[in-house]
Amino acid sequence: MSDANTAAGIATRLSEMPAASAVSLQMSVDNYLEVLRGTLDLFAGRKGMDTIYVTSTISYEAIRRVLQALDIDTSRIYFVDCISHIMMGASSAQRDDHVTLVESPTMLENLMLKVEYLIRSSQSPNKLVVIDSINSLAIHNNNWILSEFLHILVSGLRVREAYTVILSVEEHSTPELNNMVNLVCDQGVRVNKDGVS
Amino acid sequence: MPPRTGERERCVTGIDGLDTILYGGIPRANTVLLTGSCGTGKTSLALEFLIHGAMKDENSLFVSVTENSDKLLSNIMPYKFFDRNLLKSGKLVFVDLPVMYERLGMTKAELSMEEIDLLVAAITSLVKELGTRRLVVDSITSVCYKLKTPEKIRDFILKLSKSLTDFECTSILVSEIAAQTIAYSMYGVEEAIADGIVLMANMERRGDLLRTLQVIKMRGTQHSRAKYVLDLTPMGVLLVPLLKGGSVGT
Repeated sequence: MSDANTAAGIATRLSEMPAASAVSLQMSVDNYLEVLRGTLDLFAGRKGMDTIYVTSTISYEAIRRVLQALDIDTSRIYFVDCISHIMMGASSAQRDDHVTLVESPTMLENLMLKVEYLIRSSQSPNKLVVIDSINSLAIHNNNWILSEFLHILVSGLRVREAYTVILSVEEHSTPELNNMVNLVCDQGVRVNKDGVS
Repeated sequence: MPPRTGERERCVTGIDGLDTILYGGIPRANTVLLTGSCGTGKTSLALEFLIHGAMKDENSLFVSVTENSDKLLSNIMPYKFFDRNLLKSGKLVFVDLPVMYERLGMTKAELSMEEIDLLVAAITSLVKELGTRRLVVDSITSVCYKLKTPEKIRDFILKLSKSLTDFECTSILVSEIAAQTIAYSMYGVEEAIADGIVLMANMERRGDLLRTLQVIKMRGTQHSRAKYVLDLTPMGVLLVPLLKGGSVGT
């Protein structure tokens, strides 16, 4: 399956979901770019959604560079960056109103508060929240607190009628993490070299 | 959230999370002790309570004891919902208590019982004159510095609380405590008299410092007793539940 078809396949699967759905999107490391294209551009971008992109994996600057290289419009993407601050690399974020920093990925309540703030600030009727990724959050948090966090976050987003997409990396996942995500999600999408299933 | 049948009328704070915790808001005319150490967000929360009141056409009064009103005002400007016209229209009024002391001739370090009565009468008269429905005194601890003895503090808070209740005024008395204190107030008297206690704190967890809020008591309503984490944002105070999986038991 070509990269373009994979991205289109992801967008199609997401478009089939009813509003306020929570989706587990498990991908292979090699499919990260197609996931970004399918989720942020072909799904959220074409539907005119505001996207809140929570990153605990790599800095918002790195993701934004990737999106710009892919020619994806970032004007409606708001980052909640949980990793730049602990890497002491957050100076430019202070002046960027599309970026909100959380001091550490262990501050899960603050992460929820920042998402809540952005959801309330958004003027768009349609909103998407992407969590990138459950694996990197699991590096910093134990399963008990992570499970509780997902449950409260996703339940809150459902009330606000926002879509939630939780990214996980197949190669780094464990059965416990998969169960945790599946428990709060309505549907699962898998993306690997064989395509979208 | 509307009050259930038979329940007291609510003063909806306008702070969504807090109104949910209180099952619809503070019971009207309650005197609430808002207590916590420095940097926990007490003044911000109290100001937001007044601004929402003023926006709902309830005359609101802030009695500042420690900070100059102009300085306080510069702190509320970032609020997206704040409208300067609330000040011009008199819906939101700031009064500096040190100015009031001066006008009443209370220049001594310690107030006498007569002066306490005079101070209560002066605040009550202001509440009556302005038709105040919401009042904040920030901080009651600073007022208590001039009262010295537990008897005088009890007398002052009881009289003030009764007068405010008579005028159907819902009030927040901001109380300062030292960090990691077990008591809810500096003198141990304030907490026993207040109708409600809202405790704000800094909670350390694995090196992270979280701002927390917990309603300890509130007469006239059911309420959550759980601890919540808060954030001070341009849209006001936001609250989420403290995740128990990470609790260290404090």
